[in-house]
Amino acid sequence: MTEADAGRSGRPNARRAQGELESEVLAALRSAARPVTAAEVQERLGRGLAYTTVITILTRLRAKGAVTRRRAGRAFEWTAVADQAGLAALRLRRLLDAEADREAVLARFVTALPPDDEQLLRGLLARDLDEPEG
Amino acid sequence: MADSAAGRAAPAPAGATWLLTVVAAVLAVCSTLCLALVMVVGTAQLPGNPLPDSWSSPRVQDAVPYDEVAGKASIPALGAVLAACARTAWRHHRLRSRATRALLGLPAGPVAVLPDELPYAYALPGKPGRVVATTGMLRTLTSPERRVLFAHERAHLTHRHHRFLLTVQIAARANPFLRPLRTAVGYTTERWADEEAAARVGDRRLVARAVGRAALVSRGYAPAVGIPDFASPGPVPRRVAALLEPTPAPRNWPPVFTAVGLAAWAAAAGATASALSSANAAVSLFLILKAATPLY
Repeated sequence: MTEADAGRSGRPNARRAQGELESEVLAALRSAARPVTAAEVQERLGRGLAYTTVITILTRLRAKGAVTRRRAGRAFEWTAVADQAGLAALRLRRLLDAEADREAVLARFVTALPPDDEQLLRGLLARDLDEPEG
Repeated sequence: MADSAAGRAAPAPAGATWLLTVVAAVLAVCSTLCLALVMVVGTAQLPGNPLPDSWSSPRVQDAVPYDEVAGKASIPALGAVLAACARTAWRHHRLRSRATRALLGLPAGPVAVLPDELPYAYALPGKPGRVVATTGMLRTLTSPERRVLFAHERAHLTHRHHRFLLTVQIAARANPFLRPLRTAVGYTTERWADEEAAARVGDRRLVARAVGRAALVSRGYAPAVGIPDFASPGPVPRRVAALLEPTPAPRNWPPVFTAVGLAAWAAAAGATASALSSANAAVSLFLILKAATPLY
C-alpha cells in the first residue's frame, strides 16, 4: 500500500471521489494560461471546496509528478505538467511499481524476458520472419 | 463456446486452459477438504473442544485413522490455507479497482492509450473491460502489429482469462503442489489469446512478429505484474515458435494413445479419482460422526 493510500478513507466511493477531484483540479490548472495559486484553483473549481482540500489534492498531484509548483511571494504557484491521460499513466505506473514482485492476475501482452530467451527469440525471428522494417 | 458466434471453433489452447484450470480447482478443493476432515478428527481429541464429546470416544478413534501430530498440525494449516486464499482473492479485487480508478478522467472507450515511455499493454477486466497500452509500446509496433496487440488483449477480456488465472492462483495457494499448473495456465491463456489474434488478423507470422517485438522491447523494465516464469525456454519464445507452426487442430479432447492424450486423460482421471476419494472420506466421516452423535 502506498503512503497516499494509507491516509485515505477506506470507502471505495470516497476514493473514487478523490480520483475525480484530482482530475478536476488538473483540468482547472490546465485551463489556466499561467501558473496559478491554490486560492485561484479553488475559485476556478467553483464548487465550494475547502482551501485545505485543494492544497491536499495539489500536493498529491505533485507527489505523482502531474503538477509542479514554484514559490511566488508568500504562496506557491502551480502548473500542470501532465494532461488527463498523463495523470492516468502516472497513476497506473505507481500502481504497477507497487505491485512489482508480487503476483497479480492482469493478463499482459508479454511477460518479462530472461536473457537466454532473448537470444532464442531473436534467433526465431531472424530465421523465420522477414527482418522488421525500419 | 463463445466463439461459435464468430463461426470458428475454439482454438486448441482453450481446451488445455479449461482442463488445467478445472483439474487445479478440483485438486485444490479436494486437498482443502481432506485437511478439514483431518482437522475435525484432530480437534475432537483436544481437551475443551467445542465439538460433541462423543466424537472423541474410543469407538470413533478406532473407526477413523487418527494421528495426534497430524490432527493438531492440521488446525493451523487449514487456517493458513484459508487465509492465503482469501488474501489472493482480495488482492486481485484491490488491484483491479485501483487500476480502474487510475484511469478515471480518461474518456470512456474500449481502449486507453497512456502517454508513457515504458512499453506495456494490459487487458484490464471490468465492466466494461478495457485494453490499456502505452505510447511506448505502440510506437515500437507497426500498424498491423498494433491490431494484433488489441486483438490479443480483447481475447483476454472476451474469454475472461483473469478468472482462469485467479482460479489457479487460489488453487496454488491452497495446495503448493499445484503451482506448476498456475504457470501452465499463465502460458495457455497467452497462447489462447495469440491464436484468437491470429484468427482475427489472418496472419500467424504477423502475430509472431508482434509478440516477439513487444517482448524484446519490454525486456528488463516491464513492470512485473503477471506470472514471471523462468522456465527454459520461457513462454515468449515458445509462443513465437508455436505461432510459426501451422494452426493447431481445434480439438478439445485428444486421442488417448498420444503423449498429449495420455497426459490429458491421466490428469482428468487423477482429478476424478482424487475427487471421489475425497468425497468418500468426507461421507464416511460424516456417517461415523452421525452414528456417534447421540440424538437429543
